[in-house]
This record gives sequence, C-alpha cells and structure tokens, in this order.
Amino acid sequence: MSFIHDPEFGNRIITLMAALVLVLQIATAGQRWLISTIRLFALQSFLLASIAGIIAYFNQASHLYVAALLTLILKAWLLPLLLERLVEKVGIRQEIEPLINVPLSILISGCLTLVGYVVAESFYHPEETSVRAALGHNTLAVAISLFLIGFFTMLNRRKAVTQVLGLLFLENGLFLAAISLTYGMPMVVELGIFFDVLVAVMVLGILVFRISETFDSMDVSKLRKLRG
Amino acid sequence: MASLGALLEGIASLAVILDARETFIAIPSGLALVQYTFRLDPIACYFNLALAVVTLAISIYSFGYLDGFAPQKPLGVFCFFYALLLISLTVVFTAANALLFLIAWEMMAVAAYFLVSFDHEKTENRRAGLLFLVMSHVGTGALILAFLLLGTWAGGFDFATFHLARHSLTPLRQGTLFLLFFFGFGVKAGMVPVHIWLPAAHPAAPSNVSALMSAIVIKTGIYGIIRVSFDFLETPPLWAGLLVLFAGIASAILGVLYALIEPDLKRMLAYSTIENAGIILMALGATLVFQSYGRPMLAGVALIACLFHIFNHAVFKALLFLSAGAVVHATGTRNMERMGGLIRPMPLTALCFLIGAIAISGLPPLNGFVSEWLAYQALLGGFGSTPSLTRMVFPVAGSLLALTGALAAACFVRAFGIGFLALPRSSQATQAHEVHVSMLAGMGFLAALCAGLGLGANLLLPIFDPLTVALLGVQMSGNLTMAGGIALSSGSPRGGTVAPAALAGLLVLLSLLAGVLLATWWRRGRRVQGPTWDCGLPGLTEYNEYTATAFSKPLRMIFAVLYQPRREILAEFEVSAYYPTSVRFETEVDPAFETHLYSPLKDWIIARANWLRTMQTGSIHAYLAYIFVTLILLLLFGVRS
Repeated sequence: MSFIHDPEFGNRIITLMAALVLVLQIATAGQRWLISTIRLFALQSFLLASIAGIIAYFNQASHLYVAALLTLILKAWLLPLLLERLVEKVGIRQEIEPLINVPLSILISGCLTLVGYVVAESFYHPEETSVRAALGHNTLAVAISLFLIGFFTMLNRRKAVTQVLGLLFLENGLFLAAISLTYGMPMVVELGIFFDVLVAVMVLGILVFRISETFDSMDVSKLRKLRG
Repeated sequence: MASLGALLEGIASLAVILDARETFIAIPSGLALVQYTFRLDPIACYFNLALAVVTLAISIYSFGYLDGFAPQKPLGVFCFFYALLLISLTVVFTAANALLFLIAWEMMAVAAYFLVSFDHEKTENRRAGLLFLVMSHVGTGALILAFLLLGTWAGGFDFATFHLARHSLTPLRQGTLFLLFFFGFGVKAGMVPVHIWLPAAHPAAPSNVSALMSAIVIKTGIYGIIRVSFDFLETPPLWAGLLVLFAGIASAILGVLYALIEPDLKRMLAYSTIENAGIILMALGATLVFQSYGRPMLAGVALIACLFHIFNHAVFKALLFLSAGAVVHATGTRNMERMGGLIRPMPLTALCFLIGAIAISGLPPLNGFVSEWLAYQALLGGFGSTPSLTRMVFPVAGSLLALTGALAAACFVRAFGIGFLALPRSSQATQAHEVHVSMLAGMGFLAALCAGLGLGANLLLPIFDPLTVALLGVQMSGNLTMAGGIALSSGSPRGGTVAPAALAGLLVLLSLLAGVLLATWWRRGRRVQGPTWDCGLPGLTEYNEYTATAFSKPLRMIFAVLYQPRREILAEFEVSAYYPTSVRFETEVDPAFETHLYSPLKDWIIARANWLRTMQTGSIHAYLAYIFVTLILLLLFGVRS
C-alpha cells in the first residue's frame, strides 16, 4: 500500500476530481430545474471538500482539514438546505427560459474553459517540475473556468435564486484556486471567507424573497423598473 | 478665537519673512505618497501674512455681523466651516507636497461651498454654490492632471523634487504643464473667461465670507501660478509670460466694464475683484516676460507691483465687502438703486467705504495707488528695454491699465454717489442705522491699513527683498527708494519717481488752500438763497435723482459692442405721444460669456451625457455583462503581455 503516501498518486486523484468538478459546473449551465442546480452545487461542494482533504493528507497541511470540514458542513449541507427552503417558500421550481438557450450556453461554457486554460498556462513554468507546480497547473485552470462559468451563470439567468447560485459557484472557483495554489490560506482568511459566503447567502435570500413579493416574480430583469 | 490665531499667525509669518530663512516641518503620515510636509518660505509666509491680516479684521467684524443671523441660522455650522476654510488656506500656502496641497485645495473648495450656500433658503444662492463647486472642480481636475504628470516626470510628489527636476523637463512638457496649471489656478483666480463663478458666488455668500473669498481665496490661484512659474518650472518661455499678460488685460478690462453697469453692490464688487485679479496677472505676466528677456531689475519692479497689489487688494477689497455687508445688513437690499443718502444714518460705514473706494481706484495717497504706480512703471519700462515686437505690447498694456483705472474710478464714484449720497431711494434706506461697534472696528482696522500701506510704502519695501531674492535673485529695495527713503523710484533712469507721503501732504495743502480761497471768496461775495428750478414740480424727491443705470449710460453706449445691450421702451398715451400716461423702460445687458461660451458647452455636455445614458440600462444582466466582458478582456490582455 505504498501508493497511499505517494504525492504523485494524490496529484492524479486531485486532477481527476477537479475534472469532475468542471463537468458538474458545465452541467449546471444546461440545467433548468432549480432544485437540481442546488443539488449539483451541493455535490460540487462535496467534491471540493474532498479535494481539500486529499491535499491536506498528501501535503501534511493539517489546517486544511478544518477548511474541508467547513466546506462540507456549510456548502454541501447548510447552504443548499437554506436555498431549497427558499425555493419552496417562493414556490417557483423551474427556470422559465435562460437568456441564452441551453446548447449555446454549454458551448459558451466550453469556450470559457478554454479561456481558463489559456490564462492558467501563463502561470505555468515547465522548468519548475516539482509536483506542486504540476498540481497548480491543472487545478488552477479548472478553478478559473469555474469562476468564469459561475459568472456566466449569473449573467445568463433571470431568476434571483440562480444568480445567488452563480455567485456561490464563482466562490467555489476561488476556493479551488486558493487551495490548489497555496495549500490553503491562513486560517483567519478562510474563516472570514466562509462567514462572508454564509452572510451573503442569507442577505441575498431575504432580498430574493422581497423581490418575489414586490414584483410577483423572481425575474431580476424587472428590476430595471427601478431606474429613475 | 479666530482673530487670536490670526494675530499669532501674522506675527509668525512676518518674523519668517524678515528672517528670510526657510523652515521645513514634516509630520509623518501613514499613507505612502502623502507626506505632511510644510515649508515656510518667504512666498508662503507673505500670503499667510495677508491671510492673517484680513482674517483678523473679518473675525472682529463677524462678532457683530453674525448676530443678525443668530436665531434662525446654525452659527456653529458657520464657524466650523469658517475655521476649516482658514486652516485649509494656511495649508494651501504652506504645503510642500503635491498631494497634501491638493487635499487642502479640495478642503478649501468644500468649506467655501458650504459658506457660499449658507443662506440656502434661496434658490439663487444654491445655484451659486453649485456653480462655484462645478467650476472649482473643473480647475482642480486640470491641477490633478498637471500634478500627476509632473510627479511622474519628476519622480516624486514633493515640491523640492519638482524644483530639482525642473531642468530635466523638455520644453514641450514644461509648456503642457504650464498651460494646465495656468488654467487650473486661473479658475480660482477669477481669470476671464473662467470667472463666471465669481459674480454668482460672492453676492450669495454672507458678506464676511465674500470678503475672505475675494481677498484670499482668489489669491490662492495667483499663489499657485507664482509657485509654478518660479519654483516648479524653468524660466517660462516668452509666450507663457505674454499669455499671462493678455489674460490679465482681458480680465481687467472686462471685469471693470461689467462692474460699471452692475446695480447689485456686492456683484459689482465681485466684478471689480476680477478686474484686480487682472491687474495682478498683468504685473505677473510682465515679470515673466522680463525674466525671459533676462531683465531682472524690471522683473523685480513688476513682481513687487504684483505682490504688493495682492496684499493691497486683499486689504481694500475686504474693506469694501465688509462695508457693503454693513450696508446690506442695515438696508436689507443689495440693489444700489434702492439705497441712497446712507451717509447720514451711517457716516462711519460711509467713510470706510469711501477710503476703500479711493484705494481701489488707485488714487493717491492710499495703497492702491502705490502698487498700480509700480505696475505702470514696470510696463512703461518694458517699452524701452525689450526687443522688437514684444516692446509694442507694453505701451498698449500700460494704456489699457490706465483705462481700467479710470473706469474703476468711475465705477466707485457711481457706487459711492448712488449708494451713500443724495436722498434715500427707498423706505429701507430711510430706516437704515449705523452698525454694531465690532463691525466698525473691523472695517476701521482695514481702512487704517489702507492709509498706512499707502503712506508708508517706501518703508515697507525691504519686506519684499526676501521675496524677490527667492524668486528672481535680485534685491530691489535699494533701487526703488530715493532721497533718503522718502520717495519711490522705478529703478531705471528714465522712469518716474513718486513720494506718497509728500503727495498726501500736497493734497492736504491744496485742499487747505482751496478752502481758504473759497472762504474768502464767499465772504466777499453776496450769497443769495432761492428755490432750485425743479422743472415745475413741487419739491425734489427721490424720483428726480440720478440713478445708477443712468450714471453708467454713456459708458454703456460707448462699449455697446461688448455689452450688446437690449433696450425696450413701452410708452402708453391717450392724447399725444408727448403726454404719456405711463412709460416703461427696460434694459438688459447680454451676459456674453454665459450665452456664447457656457451655454453651448453645457448643451454639448448634456447631449453627450444622454448618449452615455443608453449604457445605463438599469438591467442587472447588462451590468454583469460589462463586468464579465471587461474581466475576460483584461485576463487575455494580462496573458498576452
């Protein structure tokens, strides 16, 4: 069982999981059901927590375990729960129609992944052949793609809840970039970010509820009526 | 409190000027580029001295003046912004770091804005405050740009760095910087054509604030131009000096012409401020021209004229605004046509206004005369000692300065005559009363200063030595005094000489002589008293009086090209046109800069802004898309480079 301690093996597992994360992300771009999107988010967060745990294990970065645990509790369980309740309370289960249709959205997501790889390429220096650099190389590309696709989701959807989800996906991308490049930021920063996300979702949840009450819909396109 | 501080500051500034030593004060700051460094060099202290003197008088005046606002208005707010303005003015004059200077400059503008719109119940005053703020920011925009460029080229934001790096700048860069600085500071200095905030803001502000703004805030612009041309840049090229000179001529002539037809007392003073800023700029422009021709002695005369006029204008304009404030306080109107006969109820205010009016008209023996005389000497001296084409500029400039002086005299004869003499023109003027003693004390102090600065001018000249040494490297006081320090000379063999004190003595003698002659002639002659021929009307009333509009009528006709007056006469009659039942006369002067320059500009900006507005859809998706596209472009750009 020597491969259990081999960093190269850990590296491969991480790359594999990062690829899964990316697939999930692209899947959300084609998803119309709100509940399914939320579940996809929970699954993605679970994978992220696993990645954090694996990095912690193979690199002896023990404080990353805490980050992994927090991700698991907060993003894979608590936030999806809150969002599902919100969706039930508002009573809308399906995204009516995204601004750009599903096939095209998936195509654009693919292009954004390409952009992610192009950008990440510039951070990659082949002369640094350490394991660490190789790990950063692939996962950074995935992280940037996650970030961009999350942003694109915010852009593409009409419902306020999906916009919140887009923000969360975007945040997942940031988290992946942080752990893959630095093996975890200082604990205080991590805690701050988690708290930030939690509060953001709560505030946005209230906001979504108010929007749907005031405008009788969650369509943020109607917010343009607010312009003076 | 403010007056005590002013007194201390005045003494300190005077001490530093006489010491001719530079003092640096550095306070460490937490920010990277902002260093709280202050430099007390002669120039900074000279302006601070003017600030201190004027503030002392205004603060004393304010005790009585602010009582009029007391119950309805928040005086604490007023005092806060007044103190803030004074502090920021001090910092503007002493700052030795560009960013600190800009911070103080902005603080000054904001504090002045709140003071201008202190009487904010009137729409007119709010508009005036807004106009001031907008114009001020246009100028500050140019200044920020200029300082950033200079900071980048010089490699630092300290004034000392600018000074050391000035020789490494190419002429093109120097020219760009000079134009930007000149525009930016010119807005504050009230230079034509960016003067339009002055006639709006000065009348709107409470009178003590107008006095402070006209006397000192305007001078921050002049200070900036002086600082830039002598400290930050090399000897400016000829065109720069001529530009300043022409801007000065335009400001002086247009300022006084608009002042001449203005019936609003405080607005008239505001236009007169533009005129005086023009005179100061003329002297400064002459200094720069002489310097670029390598004539330090003439440059010295012009510079002293410029600096002395800065101080003098601060004193007499503050005096005039304070007296105008007293008049407005007593009558409740700013319109000259509704005053009249105020010399009887308020003789001391009238005396103060008269002294200020004589000083500002440049009549001997008061202080305005001395500085304008020096300006004439410098301009006329320029004719004989500069080459070919530019020499023609000087006699023209000199004669235009003379025209300005004459028109200014006419303008103040009109203001004093219509406002203080003859019969009261309204019930408010009849009920006027003399103002509070502290107001009189403030005005009296400035009036005494006008006389002192005029009569003792030759004794004060050594004060300018450290200034001219610092800026031009020449010592002037020895050349400018003659006959054991009694008379002033122009420092060149062909120039004139004058002794203000002797002139004053002569004036007293002449008036005594005239009095004696008159008295003897009267005693000999037979005195007959009878009714004046009053056109068949019973008794003279205020309706028979010469009005301010009528007084300026001849000049309005002469300069009709500039004014573009619009007249409308409506007469109603029943039997014959010779017996009208009622006549209605309306006259209006075309505000040329507003209609021909600012309105088109404003329309253009609004049209462009509407065009930009289509970008502001109010849709979240659009905003997100902007951010998203920008992000991707920046990422790709970052990867490429």
